[in-house]
Amino acid sequence: MTERRMPEGPFSGGCQCGAVRFRALALRDNPHVCYCRMCQKATGNLFTALVGVYHENLTWTRGRPAEFMSSDLAARGFCANCGTSLYYRSNGGPHVSMSIGAFDEPHRIPLWYQLGMEGKHPSLMHLADIEEAGTTESAMAEDAATIRVSNHQHPDHDTATWMPALGALP
Amino acid sequence: MTTHTGGCQCGAIRYATDMQPVGVHVCHCRMCQKAVGGPFAVICPVLKTHFRVTRGEMAYFHSSDVARRGYCRDCGTPLTFEYPHVEDLGLLVGTFDDPSQVAPEIQYGNESRVAWYHTLNSLPGDAPTYANDPAMLQRISGSNHQHPDHDTDHWTPHPGGQRQ
Repeated sequence: MTERRMPEGPFSGGCQCGAVRFRALALRDNPHVCYCRMCQKATGNLFTALVGVYHENLTWTRGRPAEFMSSDLAARGFCANCGTSLYYRSNGGPHVSMSIGAFDEPHRIPLWYQLGMEGKHPSLMHLADIEEAGTTESAMAEDAATIRVSNHQHPDHDTATWMPALGALP
Repeated sequence: MTTHTGGCQCGAIRYATDMQPVGVHVCHCRMCQKAVGGPFAVICPVLKTHFRVTRGEMAYFHSSDVARRGYCRDCGTPLTFEYPHVEDLGLLVGTFDDPSQVAPEIQYGNESRVAWYHTLNSLPGDAPTYANDPAMLQRISGSNHQHPDHDTDHWTPHPGGQRQ
C-alpha cells in the first residue's frame, strides 16, 4: 500500500455567506464520509464528508457558528445566517470534525474511509455511472452569467472585510 | 395524496409533496458544495404547486440575486434550492424521510467535482455506526434530538444556540 499523507496546513474556510470563517492549522489523519441518518439530516444530503481538527488548531476568524445538539452527546455547527453545515463535534472530544465542503480548497483534502454503512443509500452505488451534463457554464450559460454578477457567496479565500448578504429573508 | 414527506433535523420544519421529483440531479457546483458543506448536493425538483410546508417557516439565504436556499434557522439543515421565478423547487435529498426513494439520474456543475467522486464506493469501511461501541450507540439513541422519519402530530424541537 502506498503511504498516505494528509496535506499540510494551514487551511481556511467558512460558510456560504461569509458570516462565519475559520482557520485550521493542521488536519487530523481521519478524512471520511459518514452515511448515518443523523449526518444526512444535518446536511440535507446523502452523507457528510468530514475531517478532524484538534480544538487547539482551530480558530474562528470571523463570526461564530450556531449549534444544534443532535443528541446529548454531540453538536452540529452551522451558520445561522445562511445555513451552511460547518461541523460535527462530540462533547468532550479532542477535535471538531469539519465539513470538507466548507473549506476554501476542498479538492486538497482526500478521503480515506467510510462510516455509518447502515444509512448508505442504493443510489450511491452507481454514482460514477450517472450521465454528465457538463459544467455550470456550459449547461446553463445565461443563468450562470446572471449568477456570476450577483454571487453572494464568500470567495474561497480570507477577506479583510466582508458584508454578508442578509439571510432569513422571506 | 402525499407522495413524500420530510423536514429538517430538529423537526421545526416539515414538508410534504404529492409528486415524485423529476430530473433528480447531483450538483457539484461550488455554490451547492458550500450550502451543504459537502462535496455535492443532490437536488430533487418538484412543482411548487405540489409542495407545501406543513410545519414551521423556512429561512432563506439568497446565494445570488437569482436563487435562494431554504434552511432551518434552528438547526441549520439545508432544505431547498430555488429560482423564485421558475415553477419548480429543488428539495435536498437528505431531508426526505426516505431518501432512498429518490435517486439521481444526471450530474451538473462538473467544473468543481471533487477528484475522489468516482472512488467513493471503493473506500475502506463496511461497519454500521458505532458497531465497535454499542454502549455509545445506546447513549446516542437514548438522547436523540432528531425528528423521526415520519410526520408527528406534536413535536417540540430541541433548542439550538449560538456557540460561545
